[in-house]
Amino acid sequence: MNEPNAPPTFQLPEQMSTVSADVDWLYYFIYWTSVVLFVAIVGAMIWWAIQYRERKGHKAEPTGHNLPLEIAWTIAPIFILVFMFHKGFQGYMDMDVAPANAMEIRVNAKQWAWEFVYPNGGSSDELHVPVHQPVKLVMASADVLHSFYVPALRVKRDLVPGMFTTVWFEATHVGHDDIACAEYCGGRSSGPNGELPYQPSDDPLHPYVAGQATGHWAMHSMLYVETPEDYQKFVKSIGDPCDQYASSGKKCPAEVAAGQGAKLYQSKGCAACHTTTGARLVGPSWKGIWNKTEETDKGPMKVDEQYVRRSILDPNFRVVNGYQAVMPTFLGQISDGEIDEITEYIKSLKE
Amino acid sequence: MAAVAPHAGAVGAGHHAADSHGDPDAMYLKASRGIRSWLFTLDHKRIGLMYLTMVALAFLVGGIFALLVRLELFSRGKTIIDGETYNRFFTLHGAVMVFLFIIPSVPAALGNFFLPIMIGAKDVAFPRLNLLSFYIYLCGVAILLCSIIMGSVDTGWTFYTPYSVQTTNSVISMTFGVFVLGFSSILTGVNFLVTVHTMRAPGCTWGRMPLFVWGMYATALIQILATPVLAITLLLLIAERFLGIGVFDPKLGGDPVLFQHFFWFYSHPAVYIMIVPGMAINSELIATFSRRAIFGQFAVAMSSLGLAILGFLVWGHHLFVAGMSEFATMLFSALTFLVAIPSGVKVFNWTATIYKGSILWASPMLYGMAFIFLFTIGGLTGLFLGTLSVDVHLTDTYFVVAHFHYVMMGGTVIAFLGGLLYWWPKMTGKWHDEFKAKVGFWFVFVGFNTVFIPQFIMGSRGMPRRYYDYLPQYEIFHRISTVGSWILAIGLFTTAYTLLEALWKGKPAPRNPWGSAGYEWGTDTPPCLTNFHKTPVFTRGPYDYHLATAEELATGWDEVGGEPGSKKKD
Repeated sequence: MNEPNAPPTFQLPEQMSTVSADVDWLYYFIYWTSVVLFVAIVGAMIWWAIQYRERKGHKAEPTGHNLPLEIAWTIAPIFILVFMFHKGFQGYMDMDVAPANAMEIRVNAKQWAWEFVYPNGGSSDELHVPVHQPVKLVMASADVLHSFYVPALRVKRDLVPGMFTTVWFEATHVGHDDIACAEYCGGRSSGPNGELPYQPSDDPLHPYVAGQATGHWAMHSMLYVETPEDYQKFVKSIGDPCDQYASSGKKCPAEVAAGQGAKLYQSKGCAACHTTTGARLVGPSWKGIWNKTEETDKGPMKVDEQYVRRSILDPNFRVVNGYQAVMPTFLGQISDGEIDEITEYIKSLKE
Repeated sequence: MAAVAPHAGAVGAGHHAADSHGDPDAMYLKASRGIRSWLFTLDHKRIGLMYLTMVALAFLVGGIFALLVRLELFSRGKTIIDGETYNRFFTLHGAVMVFLFIIPSVPAALGNFFLPIMIGAKDVAFPRLNLLSFYIYLCGVAILLCSIIMGSVDTGWTFYTPYSVQTTNSVISMTFGVFVLGFSSILTGVNFLVTVHTMRAPGCTWGRMPLFVWGMYATALIQILATPVLAITLLLLIAERFLGIGVFDPKLGGDPVLFQHFFWFYSHPAVYIMIVPGMAINSELIATFSRRAIFGQFAVAMSSLGLAILGFLVWGHHLFVAGMSEFATMLFSALTFLVAIPSGVKVFNWTATIYKGSILWASPMLYGMAFIFLFTIGGLTGLFLGTLSVDVHLTDTYFVVAHFHYVMMGGTVIAFLGGLLYWWPKMTGKWHDEFKAKVGFWFVFVGFNTVFIPQFIMGSRGMPRRYYDYLPQYEIFHRISTVGSWILAIGLFTTAYTLLEALWKGKPAPRNPWGSAGYEWGTDTPPCLTNFHKTPVFTRGPYDYHLATAEELATGWDEVGGEPGSKKKD
């Protein structure tokens, strides 16, 4: 098979997947068909409007009939339209039906973060895939509609709460591209009181400052297409270090657990609403929150293991005063071990 | 006057108007006086003017939101407003433009004014219903204003669930306002249908009926059949928020995609409520300024009905990546391509009309030709979006934003401006400054393309829509687009000034300043209260220039002295 590896054109981004070349061929076919039709119609209109402009001695000819011409320009476009429809549907089915050997990665989206869960159980907030390997994404949303979009792959699919949607692709060369959310999902640009003046960064891999930009436009992530070796290295690095202690029956040391909790803080999307610096965002900052007694809508509540666990699984059972009940539940998306690790991380964030 | 020959057994002047609304033979603006004569008027022309005032204000408000949104996008990061405000502004731009401006614009303002005149009727069939529909519109506007003041909405004009069920803003009052506006739209539609069926003057057969009236007729059919579905959908959304009935909210076992089906079942036909009237005006402009009948007039009339019917069968093309079955996706793609045929027929016929015509390059004709230019781009870029595999890449990007602006604004708004300039002398009796109108046109045309061509390019390169901020590679396109919005604004303000200036400085316009054979130009300028002094009898079609007498085509410039804009006929 030939490897499409075309650089970006003026109109389209670079091609990174097996379907890109077909999509682009059809795009340019429609483009040139349109250019020809547009030039013919508008050219004729302008030419005739000048040629037959109103002037002395010139009179309009009464409009006649030309049935064959009318039938011709009603029927002729149908052939082009059927061709476009056919090629488009064919390409759509190619994108829709994943090969049987595709590797499955789970995608969880929430306002306003992506989480990618790999076959070994590890998760990350950026998507890493091996090159030349069909990958099927099984996607779910925790709150509102989102849409997974990678321009270079030419794939896009909505994530709908209450159902699974899937998308698959096979990357054709090593590289990276932006992952964008293409379905409007609300958002705000800074803390409720504007404590964090909004400013994007110039880092192409991290264009939006974590914890500062919270909204539809900032549900930005990266796709990394890697060699199989690099991919294996990555997957190992996100495995849970506490697992080895659990298998030998020992308790996971607090620093190791907290370290893993810090990773989960990013990959599970906690960072979208909670800072670790004391700054206020959509939710309370985690800094110095451990063992503090918070005033909530149902009375004072001490931040302990039980409160953290309950707040993750059933966020609205106590809402700290001054904040809105907007956090989605993580029930079914987070394991008990991961909750423990996040708890250890919160403990480590002393004032 | 052969076209509007006095009818032998002419029915007397309008009876409803004669009693309390003044002298039927007096000019409609002078037939009665005082604020009450406007507030309680049953005259379709005055109701049309009141609608025109409201939709012009709505266009101004929606336009200001658009300028602010574009200004915010001039640079990366925060330029003038924060993210929440941005989300509200683009929502309000869409909601105001769609529900308050573009849906009522042509039918309720120009249609109300000209539909009865163009079929030789004294008024619409139900004048009181007509006034009621205007007041319902005002109620809808008031509710929307309250909603904006009470905290506004950040859902986008589509109110997609579940975000619209969860967001804390005043979604209920906003959707209720839109619900109320729907009734206004339905009443206007009913009125037009009955008027066209029952009140055509002798000689105004279906075959001779002006294409503008055909367009209004097709639009009225869509308004009546589609708008109730929007009402049902919005009521369900309100019930969902108030009562938690669980139709759309997945937490309660509902289906968020169902909302999209319901919403687009109305809103796609609504696209044709917006564009068919634009096409209807354009047919009048092309015919008048080419001095000949529209080529394939019957096909153009039928293509309006064809669009009205097909418009109901393609709503699913908004959901190609939303989680719809492959079978439904295939079906909707195939049906969507069918829309290209009646649209193409219209464009081909307009162009063929210009061939061997006698083209007067007046300001309305510039808009008429711009319509063909811009609508062709809007229509052809629709092919990309109907093609499934290409749509996957382009949907929900700026490509879609540019596409529907080329149809809605490049089509309907351009036709609306052309129609206003064309009919302004008949409506107001005043002649505008053609030079200023042409300057305004060129700013609008250049500005519009400068706004939206960069949006096609950044969209196909991968820039998603409804983004407060964007990646560095899109900045140049956003900047050009924003500069274009300023050029466009200059053009629109120039045009508005030209029209308003005519009101107090304009010379009196003659009966038929453009030398048109259309029925509406055969009556007084401005028309009398009952449109015609005697029920007219039409003996030829509205575009039969070869059958019209020299007297009918006479511009009348000699009588009023001078000929400020149009060229003399030989």
